[in-house]
Amino acid sequence: MPRPSPMVARLGFILAVLIVWEAFARLSSVSPILIAPPSAILWQVVRIIAGISTVPDFYVHAWVTLRELIVAYAITAIAGVGLGLTFASSKVIGDAFEPILLTLYAIPKVILYPLVVLMLGVGLLPKIVFGVMVGIFVVIFNTAAGVRQVEPSYLRLAHALGYRRAQIFFKVILPAAAPTILAGLRLGFGYTIIGVVTAELLVINAGFGFLIDWASFNYFTPQLYALIVLTLGIGVIGNSLFSILERRWVR
Amino acid sequence: MMRATTTFPNRRHLPLAIRVGTIALFLLIWEIAVRLGWVDSLFLASPRDTFANLAATTTLALPHLYATMTTFAVALALGVGCALMIGLLLNASGYARITFLPLLVLGVTIPKVTLLPLFVLWFGIEKTTVIVYAALSAFFPMIVNVAAAGTEVKPNQVLLAKAMGYGHSQVYRKVILPAMLPVLASGLFYACNAAMMGVFIVELALSRFGMGALIHDLAVTFRTPELYAAVLLTATVTAVINMGLWYLARYLGRWRT
Repeated sequence: MPRPSPMVARLGFILAVLIVWEAFARLSSVSPILIAPPSAILWQVVRIIAGISTVPDFYVHAWVTLRELIVAYAITAIAGVGLGLTFASSKVIGDAFEPILLTLYAIPKVILYPLVVLMLGVGLLPKIVFGVMVGIFVVIFNTAAGVRQVEPSYLRLAHALGYRRAQIFFKVILPAAAPTILAGLRLGFGYTIIGVVTAELLVINAGFGFLIDWASFNYFTPQLYALIVLTLGIGVIGNSLFSILERRWVR
Repeated sequence: MMRATTTFPNRRHLPLAIRVGTIALFLLIWEIAVRLGWVDSLFLASPRDTFANLAATTTLALPHLYATMTTFAVALALGVGCALMIGLLLNASGYARITFLPLLVLGVTIPKVTLLPLFVLWFGIEKTTVIVYAALSAFFPMIVNVAAAGTEVKPNQVLLAKAMGYGHSQVYRKVILPAMLPVLASGLFYACNAAMMGVFIVELALSRFGMGALIHDLAVTFRTPELYAAVLLTATVTAVINMGLWYLARYLGRWRT
């Protein structure tokens, strides 16, 4: 018997997990407060998106989270690539600041979050700042690494051809470093979401964090599962967008 | 910077001078900002107050830090152990690896933290929740690296070793393991990072166990200098562990080439 393609096998595996989960949730004696069957979760997701569920003001809260995410990621991407280019452009600056960066990277950022909240309060700002703190390092490191990997012979050739600094940067360095920088931007996006959602769940105020807390506090289990699926969905969609971009730009 | 170049004529010391100078300047501005009341000392402790509280806070915090580190060690061992077992099993078949790897990569990038309320529902406000969440955080980066390490093993080298009469365990010890080790070490670095983040997220969220609970309590009672001292202590300990693994991974990577 020929093997099905990995894609088909993967979908088959996911389907099997969902069927077992559905059967377990419906047939076992485990309390429905602890586990919701996939069909009920899907039904909740549809109702939430259609705006007819019991979840209060879903789109208002979703917009709060999305806004935090967009601002945090914009800062992460722009400042991260900028700092990465700065560190790679000069050996002295790179050597001076990279150990500091590495040390900061090695600290689990979440222990700094209470300090951020103490300084900035409970609104959007601390979530954005924390999202940047979690997301920016991988962008900086990848950008710097990407620029350093550029073949020195390309640079010598560009010099010999009489390219100016700006020309070398845009025509040689940036295209050659693009794959590594893009990979960093993709990872940075994943980390930024983790940062924003963590911040929302630790200090409950608004956004998806608020809704998830509302559902778990009231033991609205299908709603809780549905909101979790929707939050994870943002991550999955964002990640697939980056994969498509990478495939188009990097060949 | 001018002063730095004149005091350190040797260019090799220039980066170090810039680094120390920047940190000193940062601490100075921070100290002045609190002293002159630009920022309320209720919300920001000055470096001097932080250091003044360091000894007392360390005594207070050590039992909590010890509890956190034990939880972390258990979670890391659990997550990495499971990842090694399942990952090595997966490596046995190229087909299985291609099938499951995209799902495992997805497991690294999605915000697993939203599952936390679910874990609290299942396991309660208990240490189990901390361990399960941190182990799960460590599992995904580790297993992705185990799978990547599998591709480092060159089939023709294994074949050669077998042709030279190496036994099964010898092939494993002398060919397969050395090829995989650098990638496994960098996997351990990422797993350790993730597990630590996981432990502190849950400890802060539950505010019942370990260093996370202590930091949470100090923050909500506005004992700001002690809070900063406790965070400084935790940051130092975790940074030392993570940096150690980082240099280990780099050392193993260089040793290979």
